[in-house]
Amino acid sequence: MLGQYLPLLALLLLAAAFAAGSFIASGLLAPRNPSLAKRAAYECGIVPSRETPERFPVRFFLVAMIFIVFDIEIIFFYPYAVAFGGLGVFGLVLIMVFTFAVFESFVYLIGNGALEWGPLKQVARPSGAVSPDRTVETTIRRVGLEDRGIPADDGQAA
Amino acid sequence: MLAQLDATPVETPEIVWAGLLPLLILSAGALLLVMLRSVVKRLPADVEPHLITAIGPITVLGMWFAAGLAGTDVPLAGLRDDMGEPAFYIGLALVMVLAGTLVRTMEIGLDAAITVGLGLSAFAATWGIWDDRWQVTGPFNAIGDQFAVDGFALLFAGVLAASVVLVALLLDGYLRRESLDGPEMYVLMLLSAAGGIVMTGANDLIVIFLGIETLSIAVYVMAAMHNRRTESQEAGLKYFVLGAFASAFLLYGIAFTYGATGSTNLVDIQIFLSSGQLVDNGLLMAAFGLLLVGFGFKIAAAPFHAWTPDVYQGAPTPVVAFMASAVKAAGFAALLRVFMLGFFSHVDDWRPAIGALAVLTLIVGSVMAIVQSDVKRMLAYSSISHAGFILVGVHAASLAGINSVAFYAVAYTFLVIGSFGVLTVVSGVGDRATSLDDLNGMAKRRPVLAFMFTVFLLAQAGVPLTAGFVAKFEVINAAVDSEFYWLAIVAMLTAVVSAFLYLRIVLSMYLGTADGDAADLGDPIPKAAGLAIGIAFAVTVGFGILPGPLSDLASDALPALIGAG
Amino acid sequence: MTSLLASETAAVSFPVLTAMVLTPFLGALLLLVLPNNRPEYFKQVAFLVSALTAAMTAWVMVEFDKAHAATFQFVDQYEWIETLGISWALGLDGISLWLVVLTGALFPIVILAIDAEHSPKPYYAWILVLEAGCMGVFLALDLFAFFVFFEIVLVPMYFLIGQWGHGERAYAATKFFIYTMMGSALMLVGIISTAVITANTTGNDLTFGLIELAESQALGQTAARWIFLSFALAFAVKVPIFPLHTWLPDAHTNAPTAGSVILAGVMLKLGTYGFLRFGIYLFPEAAVYFAPFLVALGTIGILYGAIAATMQRDLKRLVAYSSVAHLGFIVIGTFALNTEGIEGGLLQMVNHGVSTGALFLLVGMIYERRHTREISKLGGLQKPAPMLAGVFMVVMLSSIGLPGLNGFVGEFLTLIGAFAAHRWWAVVAASGVIIAALYLLWAYQRVFHGPAEGDNATMPDLTVREGLTMVPFLVAIVFMGVYPKPVLERMEPAVDALVAHVETHVEDFDEPVADIAHHVELEDLADLGTDTHGEEDGEHG
Repeated sequence: MLGQYLPLLALLLLAAAFAAGSFIASGLLAPRNPSLAKRAAYECGIVPSRETPERFPVRFFLVAMIFIVFDIEIIFFYPYAVAFGGLGVFGLVLIMVFTFAVFESFVYLIGNGALEWGPLKQVARPSGAVSPDRTVETTIRRVGLEDRGIPADDGQAA
Repeated sequence: MLAQLDATPVETPEIVWAGLLPLLILSAGALLLVMLRSVVKRLPADVEPHLITAIGPITVLGMWFAAGLAGTDVPLAGLRDDMGEPAFYIGLALVMVLAGTLVRTMEIGLDAAITVGLGLSAFAATWGIWDDRWQVTGPFNAIGDQFAVDGFALLFAGVLAASVVLVALLLDGYLRRESLDGPEMYVLMLLSAAGGIVMTGANDLIVIFLGIETLSIAVYVMAAMHNRRTESQEAGLKYFVLGAFASAFLLYGIAFTYGATGSTNLVDIQIFLSSGQLVDNGLLMAAFGLLLVGFGFKIAAAPFHAWTPDVYQGAPTPVVAFMASAVKAAGFAALLRVFMLGFFSHVDDWRPAIGALAVLTLIVGSVMAIVQSDVKRMLAYSSISHAGFILVGVHAASLAGINSVAFYAVAYTFLVIGSFGVLTVVSGVGDRATSLDDLNGMAKRRPVLAFMFTVFLLAQAGVPLTAGFVAKFEVINAAVDSEFYWLAIVAMLTAVVSAFLYLRIVLSMYLGTADGDAADLGDPIPKAAGLAIGIAFAVTVGFGILPGPLSDLASDALPALIGAG
Repeated sequence: MTSLLASETAAVSFPVLTAMVLTPFLGALLLLVLPNNRPEYFKQVAFLVSALTAAMTAWVMVEFDKAHAATFQFVDQYEWIETLGISWALGLDGISLWLVVLTGALFPIVILAIDAEHSPKPYYAWILVLEAGCMGVFLALDLFAFFVFFEIVLVPMYFLIGQWGHGERAYAATKFFIYTMMGSALMLVGIISTAVITANTTGNDLTFGLIELAESQALGQTAARWIFLSFALAFAVKVPIFPLHTWLPDAHTNAPTAGSVILAGVMLKLGTYGFLRFGIYLFPEAAVYFAPFLVALGTIGILYGAIAATMQRDLKRLVAYSSVAHLGFIVIGTFALNTEGIEGGLLQMVNHGVSTGALFLLVGMIYERRHTREISKLGGLQKPAPMLAGVFMVVMLSSIGLPGLNGFVGEFLTLIGAFAAHRWWAVVAASGVIIAALYLLWAYQRVFHGPAEGDNATMPDLTVREGLTMVPFLVAIVFMGVYPKPVLERMEPAVDALVAHVETHVEDFDEPVADIAHHVELEDLADLGTDTHGEEDGEHG
């Protein structure tokens, strides 16, 4: 019964052997003449005193995660496509529901600005302290403009 | 090869849509809510209040339609019966006006109003199935042999819907206070409750797993939702990591069950096991163990309880109310379904394990609670000890046991939502004032709230004339009925130990004197939260004094396994 | 005759017993909805409600059919939880009658006599809830209902001690609650076991009805003994019987006066009544089996309580320990398991309610005036407050058991019963009477005699209101001491029936009778008490 897995095991072993063999071969065969300048990260300029931190916008993670969600969708679509004929209307309805649910999350992401790439956009939902009601008009008091029909401090600035 | 597949139509399961109505209302409602709120982010200020008011009458209509649709085989037949009489329309109109007024006076937000409406409609649908369909035709399968609609599943679905409604009422004021408003919390809660309903009716281990995951993943996020509190983040992460771990155990258990019995369907498992064809007993024992670990985590049974205090303390308080009520109830429903239906023929094998879990849970829950100084932590441990009590009912493995679990789950849902509801209201901005000292002198500042909290706590301690006492009574009755006197004694003794904990809270409310910070916690109670606490109070006392109706309901709520027909 | 079934009960159209339980409870709810701006109404409303209840008790006492005192009368029975066979069943027989009357009478007096120190609304509401609970315990004919009432009384008492108490009130309240709850936790298991095992053995539907369970006697010997123990533990804590008594002095000392009076007057009887109504009636064999053990504990309690009382420096604590001793008498009387003993025990329950209740009231009055209960700080109070001293003397002598006052009749009957059943224990117990005289008289001497100095010299005497509240106590003390017949003759059939029940259901058990008991008729008892009546001040003059 387990015999049918034998090719898989053989493949696994082969792959491992090949990988290990490559490493060993390159270790044995490659010429090696190390020097200090060769091992430095940059061959010119100031020698870095410590590792530079990697600055990486969190948005990339967001995009990666969103990508995974929609990528996984394919996993469901593919078998459905294969069995499409046999599943009939039932399958169609189900996959529509599924598609709707995924689409739904897409709408949510767009709606919350997850894919907007401007530097200053607020991703989080505006809340009390930060809200569209608070603009330059409302938070900056213009001295001497009172009684001239220009909106002055409405209390939020205090 | 593709041509071959095309040629043979796949057999599709028979679906009784009406039976799925509560589930559909909650999940479709959640999807529509998030869609609506993603597209229309901000309503004009002059439209929003009217829209919210309109949700009251719409909810009434929704409940009416849901109950009618769920009721009988012909859609809308339930409606047709009543539609002839003018008195019915007048009554309906009156109720709609009342509902609108109620919504308006509650000053509730749009998302919460919609969620409450969905929860109530799901509740009405459950009621409709119970009253018009299930009582006529008996239990039936809603999707092939995967999802059963029986009294047990319906009762727990009702519990879940009720807890959605109450927690939504609590959430409204809370989210506004913490500046966290938005539809996300409500959507997640609706989805989570939908997952819970899947668990309560699931007739297949895989379906149970789907339900558990839907339920849990939503709750993981809910726990971490308070994004300015590190404790909340911690709670979410802890809950997620440990929960995922437990899910893996559960899945492993399911795989072992499949290995031992050749099926994941509870009907097939039951048939296989009771026919005595089992070859590998060890595999089945391993499956029991792994499944118990998985479920034990969800219901917070010791020794799988370690996450509970941290998560309960860190998570937003209304979310804790949801976790302690709905998640726990759904977990017990699934546990009972699997073990009482699927594995009943091997009751002697799994019963000792449940007994050990029960004793350990009771002792850990009650003893550890005493040394805490944070009320949320205390209640976390108390919820552990309540899980132990319910396990005593499971351990009885009898009809009385199932009834007692059902009763306890209903009673505890309201108790715990009430308790955490009070905490939500008094804990102040940032959810910080939850230590025992913060409650000092609460009886002076908020006498009514303090009194209600006292009743909730005494009910948890099992003082008579509250639903909590009757629940304990039923559990002890079940244990004694199965002649497990020792377990009954252990349960009662630990109940006394935990009574000490509840008294500590009561003492600090009534005898402690407020100093400094604690004294200025007098912000007005959000009306919606007040309503939720009031409902929980009414149910707790009402079913405490007259437990008859709930007891009848619980004794009707029996799970059933129906083979594919 | 052996049947205690309420077959011949006159059909009462008005459910008076239910009303007696619900009236105080509804009164408490009424108090809660009263507006806060007129605090003086709270006391009046509470008094009216309890007076209404008392009126109903009085009516029941008058209407009580003494020819059928062994059957339950005025029975109310309604379905409560049908699936579990639980019903709301209330009834009254000769055993519960006087305790109900005591409850009905004591509460209005307590409400009238003592003002709430603060927050009157919840205070009176809790007292009324307490009254409802106590009534319910004495009237319940269903084990579930009994347990509900037995437990529910903890809550109001907990709040009374905790919120209106003195000193270590939080500690005392918690200790009281946890102790009592610990006792009754196992009783719940016992109650359910009784019902379930009976239903399984007889094949009948599950029922928690007291009469059905007691008459079927379906429990095996071992089961019955274990279950009896679980009941006994609950009752022993409540009574309290010797090693489980430690909550009592704390609770009494720190409770407000009203709490102490009710605790001593009514609540301690819940345990002794429970022994009679539930312990012995449900499990006669086990009761016979454990009787010597309980008598021994009762006797130890008498001596221990008396000795401990002698050494107290706090007047209230002294009275509290004297309660332990008195309840010891009730226990040995009850577990003598003969008519005299049980009757004596029952009578002593009422007596103790009256006299110790009154003592606590008086101690409360002294405390109100002097703000101390330290015996050493009091002294010579007789001069400034002769009325108080006189009343105190009568009540104290009743507590000692002076012939002519009520305490004597009860103690005498108890000792006769106990002597017949357990001769040597009775002899030892009798010495408790002497120590009682010692500690109470000594306390009296230290508090009331001698020179009055400082604040003691200017202590005001009883006010008219206080004097009036003491009148019912004095009347009861003297009346029951001189002419106990009306009380005894209403108990006797019920007690006889209970003893007969035990004799029927326990093989080779015969009612232990002492020869003298047959010669002492009730009328003789009445004569015994007439000679010393009215000479209260003679001892120390």
